[in-house]
Amino acid sequence: MARVELEITRRQFLAAGVAGTALLGTGMGPGRSNMAMNYPDPPWFSQGDVVTTYNYCDMCPWKCGIAVQTVNGQVMKIDGNSLDPKSRGMLCGRGQAGVSFMNDPDRLQSPMIRTGERGEGKFREVSWEEALDYTAEKILAIKDTYGPEALAIFGHTTGDFWFTDYFAQAWGTPNAAKPSSSLCLSPRDEASTLTLGFPVGGHEPMDWDEIECITLIGSHIGEDSRNTVMQDFIESRSRGAQVIVVDPRFSSAAAKADHWLPIKPGTDTALLLAWINVLITEDRFDRSYIDEWATGLDELTTHIQEFTPEWAAGITDLSAEQIRTTARVMSDRLPQAAIMPGRHVTWYGNDSQRMRAVFILNSLLGVYGRHGGMYFNKSPFLDSYPHPPFAVTGSSGGCSAEPGEESAELPLGPTGKARADGARDTFLRGPTAMQELIDPMITDDPYRIAGLMIYGVNLLNSIPIPSRTIEALKKLDFVLAVDVLPQEHVAWADVVFPEATFLERYDELSTVPYKTPFIQMREPAVAPMYDTMPGWMMARELGLRVGLDAYFKWETIEEYLDIRLRSVGSSLEKMHDAGGVIIQEGKPYLDEFVADGESPFHTASGKIELSVAELAEAGLDAIPVYEPTEEPPDGYYRLLYGRNPLHTFAKTQNTPVLSDLSPENELWINEDEAAALGYVSGDKVWLENDNGDRSGPIAVKATQRIRKDAVFMAHGFGQNAEGLTLANGRGASDTKLMSRYKLDPISGGAGMRINFVRLVEGD
Amino acid sequence: MAYAFLLDMSRCIGCEACVVACKSGNQLPVDRQYIKLIEHTSGTFPDLTGGFQNHRCYHCADATCVAVCPTGALFKEDGLTRLNRDACSGCGYCVQSCPYEVPVMSDGRSSKCDACASNVGAGGSPWCVTTCPAQALKYGDRDEILAEAKERVVALKDRYPKAQVYGETQAGGLGLILVLPDDPETLDIPADPPATPVVVDAWKEVVQPLSMGATVLAAAGAGVLGIIARRNHMAELREVDDKKKAGVTAGDSDTEEV
Repeated sequence: MARVELEITRRQFLAAGVAGTALLGTGMGPGRSNMAMNYPDPPWFSQGDVVTTYNYCDMCPWKCGIAVQTVNGQVMKIDGNSLDPKSRGMLCGRGQAGVSFMNDPDRLQSPMIRTGERGEGKFREVSWEEALDYTAEKILAIKDTYGPEALAIFGHTTGDFWFTDYFAQAWGTPNAAKPSSSLCLSPRDEASTLTLGFPVGGHEPMDWDEIECITLIGSHIGEDSRNTVMQDFIESRSRGAQVIVVDPRFSSAAAKADHWLPIKPGTDTALLLAWINVLITEDRFDRSYIDEWATGLDELTTHIQEFTPEWAAGITDLSAEQIRTTARVMSDRLPQAAIMPGRHVTWYGNDSQRMRAVFILNSLLGVYGRHGGMYFNKSPFLDSYPHPPFAVTGSSGGCSAEPGEESAELPLGPTGKARADGARDTFLRGPTAMQELIDPMITDDPYRIAGLMIYGVNLLNSIPIPSRTIEALKKLDFVLAVDVLPQEHVAWADVVFPEATFLERYDELSTVPYKTPFIQMREPAVAPMYDTMPGWMMARELGLRVGLDAYFKWETIEEYLDIRLRSVGSSLEKMHDAGGVIIQEGKPYLDEFVADGESPFHTASGKIELSVAELAEAGLDAIPVYEPTEEPPDGYYRLLYGRNPLHTFAKTQNTPVLSDLSPENELWINEDEAAALGYVSGDKVWLENDNGDRSGPIAVKATQRIRKDAVFMAHGFGQNAEGLTLANGRGASDTKLMSRYKLDPISGGAGMRINFVRLVEGD
Repeated sequence: MAYAFLLDMSRCIGCEACVVACKSGNQLPVDRQYIKLIEHTSGTFPDLTGGFQNHRCYHCADATCVAVCPTGALFKEDGLTRLNRDACSGCGYCVQSCPYEVPVMSDGRSSKCDACASNVGAGGSPWCVTTCPAQALKYGDRDEILAEAKERVVALKDRYPKAQVYGETQAGGLGLILVLPDDPETLDIPADPPATPVVVDAWKEVVQPLSMGATVLAAAGAGVLGIIARRNHMAELREVDDKKKAGVTAGDSDTEEV
């Protein structure tokens, strides 16, 4: 198949800007013409040459390798790339809707500068030159007045590298943050690093091929439709692996479980401690593995004595027998029995300790580096593009942080300021905590943050206490929003940069730590629609305007990518011809480390640390204890939230195909509770939290599938953005019902499952 | 050669990738879909079982929709129930008579899964099959698919004592062979769908082509209407039954479109 040649130079994009503007207002997205009334005749794949380009999907952060089919310059269909170790030729529903995401007629179509008050959403369309010059002028003024640290940069989705990592470090701000850290993964990755000496990494390294017992704690595979995980989970289970699911809700995964433990929300650590108690007191753990590879067994044994299944039964609402039985199911299969680390783990504010308990349990089962347990991820080898030393290092970190990056001293920006998020003071370690940068924007404490660049983060639908975020947005000197869609927060920006979607741009290579480390490419299937621009080009154009020329020596992105690929003997062309992926050798198992005379555990002791001295020194528990969580007041339910298989966070609710199939979320409530309140499925209600904040309307789903003390909804709905014609006002928002969160003292994660709601009649 | 789908409900995890793959591959407009997942739950908290009905065309060998279709828009080919939407007159008989309640009207014409006929004709596999992350779907020669379904059921008996193949004989043999972990009723699938009465075949194959007198047509037409009436009656009965059940044991059955 021929490759689409899309040389985009700076000169061309500036020229294209004029043509793009001329197209504005026609209202003709190519998507509409795709929607044939009957079968296309002939079918799309017979209408012309099918041109395949390779890409990694941006419909969720999992980044499946995809093959994009284009006919006559129109993207027709997206499939999983059969050579990609993550997609293996298959793809989830969201990935299948990538074409629809690109063709969304609500897309931002031109750069804009604000004309009305902030938040009014009034803008004038401007040229890219004007938008970039204006932005450069504003951020340089902030740098002159307050120093480069006063510019915060938030980023999410697969182009965030250019802003949150590359531009931020070149510019010199340590205040770059990603929601995937403190609003999601931080507790598990910090707990893993403290216990094992490495983070879990982007991809939970379950050794699915040989596993015999899978335990999920709150992970709802199937509703969370990460392609590879669904494939592996179902294949392992069909092969005969036992499945234990701990969830207050009878999720799709719980319906596949051999043992479902409908735990009382907030008590997971008690269950984990009781499981550890059974393994140790019944001598059912991998003693030789622990003797060789772990420290702290004596302390753990003493610590665990009181945490019996009977003790946990009273807390968790499970039976002691259930707890014992499931512990034995695991231990009978060790080391081919692992607890999946989970992803969104910012639940109750004690989350790093809960994750520590998970990793201690996994260690007792002897899973790390063992066949059928958990393998060791390895990052692929690939050189960086050569650049001068950064003005500040380690800005955002996040799930891609490499082992050992955390140092005792926080990196300082050019004027001597460290991160403003309270790291080392209110919490111990981990990447920059996004939600902790909001207060400094309002209070100027510890110093003023005057500017904010937002790349692809749905700001008001991801950070708890959105009213506080709006207060911060009002106080900033300058706000830039880079996005594909007119999301809610875009109305609060001074400048809007409309981005080309993943199907319309080259991008940084995706390097995937995995059992077989691999590299994925992104090449455009079509040229950018409207007057949009790829993120890399925005970052570069901005860099050239603020004196960062030395970091952007390359003329074209193709040059940048070719130079990087040269280090692995490849090039864009070679990589395309090889099917869009480069796979390297991993080092997944313990015996390979033993043979090399190395330890895979990069802790101070070089071993798994069941008891962590660093925590004790910081006045925290060296071994996890159970801390009770606040109970809902009378008449209120604990607000649980999660995923819908057809949506990603608050990103896809406006995608036409997905909105058509799944336009709103539903409120899961126990059927008996609903009946007592006089509701049946389909009734529309509003939700009100104990702070008086409201969101809705949302349809009731009265079901036996959930406990009586909690309600559940999919995250990402209930957006208030007039420009999103399909998503605006549909369903309820969990974020808008979060009037508080609890900071995890270890990782800086924001525990968000401490909010309570009741059902009320509509406005 | 007769083709068939294999749909292994012990594997389906309800991610709806098939639904979107079908929509995007067949370039279906807004409000049209050929696959719909319907969540089913039995029991009361915390003693529950549940799964998804993957609601789509069953490709019956004795397809009532084909029998009642007055224009030939619906026809059998290679074991599949094909639909030529251009030939559809929009009478809605297929919608009314399908024992599985599959076809729906969209833009005034019948609409249902065609096994990606244009794609399969080119030697490919239906879009839903190629994308399914749970690999719950397979497509191929019906004899081989049926044999594999039987093998899978044997392997499932440990975990699911009531595991069974569905579709070997129903409606003359289906082109959608299900591997079910439990009785079909738990997913609201009729164990034995009503067969197409002989009178319908007569109406379609003899009466219609010969354009016989109004009396005969009316009599045969009554047969078709009879099926429709009976189906509606069965639906009513089921509704009454559901309500009764709901009255006795709240939450015994919970059906939810997702």
